[in-house]
Amino acid sequence: MINSLPDWLDPYKWMHLTESSDLNAIEAAIYSKNPTIRELALLLSPSAKTFIEPMAQRAKYLTQRYFGKTISLYSPLYLSNYCNGGCVYCGIAADRRADRLVLNNKQLSKEIEELSASGIDEIVLLTGERMPEADVDYLENAIKLSSKKISSINIEVFPMLENEYRILANAGCTGVTLYQETYDPIVYEKMHRWGDKRDFYNRLHAPERALKGGLRTIGLGALLGLANPVFDMLCLYNHANYILKNFWQSGISISFPRIKPQLGEFRANFPVNELMLSQYIFALRICLPTVPLLLSTRESATIRDGLAGLGISKMSVASKTTVGGYSSNIEKSTEQFEISDNRDIKMFCNALRRKNLEAVFKNYDSIYREPVLYEKKSKK
Amino acid sequence: MKIKLNGENHNHSGNGSIKSLLDELKLNKDHAAVMLNGKIVPQENWKTQMINENDEVEVLVFVGGG
Amino acid sequence: MSDILSFDDISFKSRLLVGTGKFSSIKTMISSIKASKTELVTVALKRFNKAKTEDDLYGPLLELENITLMPNTSGAMNAKEAIRAALLGRELSKSRFVKLEIHPNPHHLLPDPIETYEAAVELAKQDFLVLPYIPADPVLAKRLEDIGCAAVMPLGAPIGSGQGLTTKEMIQIIIKESNIPVIVDAGIRSPSEAAQSMEMGCEAVLINSAIAAAENPTKMADAFQQSVKAGRLAFKAGLMPSTETAIASSPLTSFLSSYD
Repeated sequence: MINSLPDWLDPYKWMHLTESSDLNAIEAAIYSKNPTIRELALLLSPSAKTFIEPMAQRAKYLTQRYFGKTISLYSPLYLSNYCNGGCVYCGIAADRRADRLVLNNKQLSKEIEELSASGIDEIVLLTGERMPEADVDYLENAIKLSSKKISSINIEVFPMLENEYRILANAGCTGVTLYQETYDPIVYEKMHRWGDKRDFYNRLHAPERALKGGLRTIGLGALLGLANPVFDMLCLYNHANYILKNFWQSGISISFPRIKPQLGEFRANFPVNELMLSQYIFALRICLPTVPLLLSTRESATIRDGLAGLGISKMSVASKTTVGGYSSNIEKSTEQFEISDNRDIKMFCNALRRKNLEAVFKNYDSIYREPVLYEKKSKK
Repeated sequence: MKIKLNGENHNHSGNGSIKSLLDELKLNKDHAAVMLNGKIVPQENWKTQMINENDEVEVLVFVGGG
Repeated sequence: MSDILSFDDISFKSRLLVGTGKFSSIKTMISSIKASKTELVTVALKRFNKAKTEDDLYGPLLELENITLMPNTSGAMNAKEAIRAALLGRELSKSRFVKLEIHPNPHHLLPDPIETYEAAVELAKQDFLVLPYIPADPVLAKRLEDIGCAAVMPLGAPIGSGQGLTTKEMIQIIIKESNIPVIVDAGIRSPSEAAQSMEMGCEAVLINSAIAAAENPTKMADAFQQSVKAGRLAFKAGLMPSTETAIASSPLTSFLSSYD
């Protein structure tokens, strides 16, 4: 493997522990008072599967301690599926046949109405790669429009410049989600065939630009299945800590998007099954106890119900991944990924309640908020 | 001339420079920090900086402290 | 590979900082400083007293080798006074270091966070290496780091109280989040507490009363020198993991049984 990763990110020193069969060390890692990357590496090893139940118990205990018995809910809203990108694993890449659509103001208002009426008060606005149809000014407008009815707006779009993030922060955007997809530069290059997204480092440093630009939170993640998932999880941990160390006033969350082995045309080279997914979630909860962990409707109802509260503290609900999916009369467009959990809000909240978990729709109000300003550090 | 030195009255009988005041106090040249009427007088100006009647001078030295 | 404590371009081999207050005599103070092998020593400023010239430390301290003087701002009640004290101290010491301490209450001598922050902003602008003495407050520590302090010095317990690391949990948080050296100052009574601070990840400790008020200060200074070294060595060697106890409840992962 080419060691072209920055020092703060590269987990090569710990990879050997991910092959560990030292059951005592693994068990001790579960209950560590101050877990570090060392404990994470042990907990990610295949041998740790033996301890999946105690890991779940510990994950549940820690999630309750820091998040209470609650699950935050949000919904994705696809603004546009226009894309000039070449991601091998994505259904709406530029060379794939797809019905393309971008929401105009009227359509967006309708979508927001529908979501707001259903009780949703936090959304993620999504687009493809940077396109003239949906560039920064389009996003600025969409954020302003959405924030009239929705308390917390996040975006999951293309990486941009610090001053562009600032425009969006001033418009009322709270956070940015940006998955590195994989931290393995070689796999990354293979997966992103052309376009801006090929720039690995530009994407890697975008979350920092977002925070410097005044956004309050960033969401990280790796697409499980693209490369060695244990490597990606270790990098994800290092990335999270790097942000925490350098942006002490900012929030960060971690998601677990997964290429599901049995569905879709793209086959994962490193399939991650449900047991491994659960193991990774428990491991990250144990080693990053205060970081929100997210699970989407890509996963089945059984898995979502099982993992809610066991590390997972935030979930999307009643998602539509087509552009204009929430309103009934917008023309058809191609979805980005298939949804497995189709339950509506009421059904999902009942399921949570049966697990003694309360659904939280609103965590935050933008009414008294200003973009975060980091003091310019004096010369060092 | 009459001046206030460290909050008390003092009669200076030197040539009126900070240096001569310190000599009068038998203070080794490097061992003090001096304020004249609330402003710090750097060491290099001690020979040339003059004191006038009724000026307030503070002479400080290092003592033990945590 | 050497383990150096550095501030900008200034480095120290010793991680034990020593204060010069409360010693019974200058002779004892000097021999304690020598035994401690310290390279950074704090001093205070006071009006020259022509009746008590033996108070003046400057001469004796200058004779020591390898010592950098760090004037403190004790006596200052607010930022303005502390800034003036720092400027005066720099005149004398010719070093960039200043221990910023503002404690308006003479009974417990606890630091004023607001005046300290304001003074630190100004002193950092004037190119001092500011080492502020602060309550063990993690957010205050980050704010001071942001405006350019060279280190932060959270207290373990009130000055001279010898109560040890009463603020241990907070200091651990500060260490975890800090990008600049964390130096425990005040409250340490015994060499084991100094070692414990170093094991936690402090870059140095500042000791005064524990040495000056010991029965044999010189020997105590030597003990501290050894314990600081041991604690640092232990920190670098990596203490074995400590664990919490498990709490069991009904099984949680049966939902996975259909998947594997």
